[in-house]
Amino acid sequence: MMSASHPDTDTAPVLELREVSVAFTSGAGAKRRTVRAMNAVTLEVAPGETLGLVGESGSGKTTTASVALGLKRPDSGEVLLLGEPFTRSRRANAGKLQAVLQHPHWSLNPRRKVGESVREPLTVARRDLSRSEQRQRVTEMLEQVGLNPAFAERYPHELSGGQRQRVSVARALVTEPRFIVFDEAVSALDVAVQMQILALIRELQAEHRFGALFISHDLGAVERVADRVAVLFRGDLVETASTEEFFRNPQHPYSQTLLEAL
Amino acid sequence: MTTYSLPLSKRKRAVKTRPPRDALFIAAACALGLIVLVAVAAAVIPFAGDPARIVGPRLSPPSAAYPFGTDALGRSVLARLLEGTRTTLVLSTLAVVCTAVISVILGLVAGYAGGWAREVIMRLSDVLYSFPSIVLAILIAAVVGPGQAAVLSSIVLVTVPLMTRMVSAAAMSVAKRDFVTTAKISGVSAPVILFRHLLPNVSGTIAVQGTYALSVGILVEGGLSFLGYGVQPPRSSLGLLIQEGGSYMLQAPWLLFAPAAVLVVAILSINLIGDTMRDRLDPRETRSLV
Repeated sequence: MMSASHPDTDTAPVLELREVSVAFTSGAGAKRRTVRAMNAVTLEVAPGETLGLVGESGSGKTTTASVALGLKRPDSGEVLLLGEPFTRSRRANAGKLQAVLQHPHWSLNPRRKVGESVREPLTVARRDLSRSEQRQRVTEMLEQVGLNPAFAERYPHELSGGQRQRVSVARALVTEPRFIVFDEAVSALDVAVQMQILALIRELQAEHRFGALFISHDLGAVERVADRVAVLFRGDLVETASTEEFFRNPQHPYSQTLLEAL
Repeated sequence: MTTYSLPLSKRKRAVKTRPPRDALFIAAACALGLIVLVAVAAAVIPFAGDPARIVGPRLSPPSAAYPFGTDALGRSVLARLLEGTRTTLVLSTLAVVCTAVISVILGLVAGYAGGWAREVIMRLSDVLYSFPSIVLAILIAAVVGPGQAAVLSSIVLVTVPLMTRMVSAAAMSVAKRDFVTTAKISGVSAPVILFRHLLPNVSGTIAVQGTYALSVGILVEGGLSFLGYGVQPPRSSLGLLIQEGGSYMLQAPWLLFAPAAVLVVAILSINLIGDTMRDRLDPRETRSLV
């Protein structure tokens, strides 16, 4: 399909974080506290590659996701999407990046039909397509994620958690983005469904060659989808290695602890 | 992005332990429906006669000829009651529609934008909210001048703060949901997010707050007209009728009794309907978001 428009020769990273720092302050006066959520984090995601980002709760994973999605401006450092810094208008990047977020219950607007939710990114990024052409794209996308196109007419509450997460994947892919963030995308699903969704992500990535940032506290899931693994520990990126190497021979003591806990 | 509210199990339990209120709800809906129906029908078919005409002796008690008696000028109480109920209902409903429009826009913007926009809107409504409603209403009547415009603007200003606050709180919780974040990432513009994603998911709150605002509206109209700042004679409204009835409470109690009964039944029914709707619809307590 449209994967022809993403030539494989294009090897420039789809996402680059350079020395990105984010700190949150809370309280006032003597109670003032500063939490460093990201501490000079540098990482990149190549086209067609999945970078797994692991770490315990509070290690800065979600902050990293917000920064990578342009939802949060870093206090310092640079964020480049397809070689360009984020602009103030999100519309400029419409369709180039997407996200599959944690909670299958809240990933879809309960008051809209599934098909309309999947079509939504197209209404911004592909205004050149007519409504019926957009609907056609939605049908194709639903089929690709293994759902009957008739699901387009259903409401989210009629779907199971796994089906909803498939819909989320379809919505993320419908604009053929170059970069997708999966933030704890399978964590709320039971193990069998997790395996199906992970396999689906792998399969779709082979076809569409999007770069992905796969954020999870679940090392098992990361091992299945990621090409490389990055470990966050209290805002510091303590280790980056290929998945194989990481699981065979973790370097940082914290990585070793993580793996032992598995 | 990683936000939770009540776990599902807890919400389900909350739903189950609620006592069945269907019978009360149906009774309230019937009572209110009857009041509205009769008041509106009287405007179409004047079966109770002309409320402005003098039809009989002054202060005559209820009888076959004058079903609800006559007032101090010999006008039919039934006809005046029907006209008054209609005036009160129309004014309150109109005001609540205005309130809903204002509050929904302010509340959605405050809930979605957050930051200084929310601060400004919330502090302004706190200022309005801090006035006792009847004092605020009299203040407005003094500025606008007594009459229906004063009633209308008073009801709007009295009901806007609470409704804005409730809509904003509901919108804020919906705005944290993943589907709103995903829409943002897709480049969907803020007005589209407000009306496509937030509005349908706070509609329960709007409906519930709307019914409460309606009952407050009827009370404010009653209070203002009772004090002489509201609807002016020879027109009638529930508040005005109660005020007139009060002056003859000992000689002709039926003058007071009829409008007071309608007022009480209307407000009770509306609040009961509101409570039932809240129990069933409010996204903070039920599964309307799931």
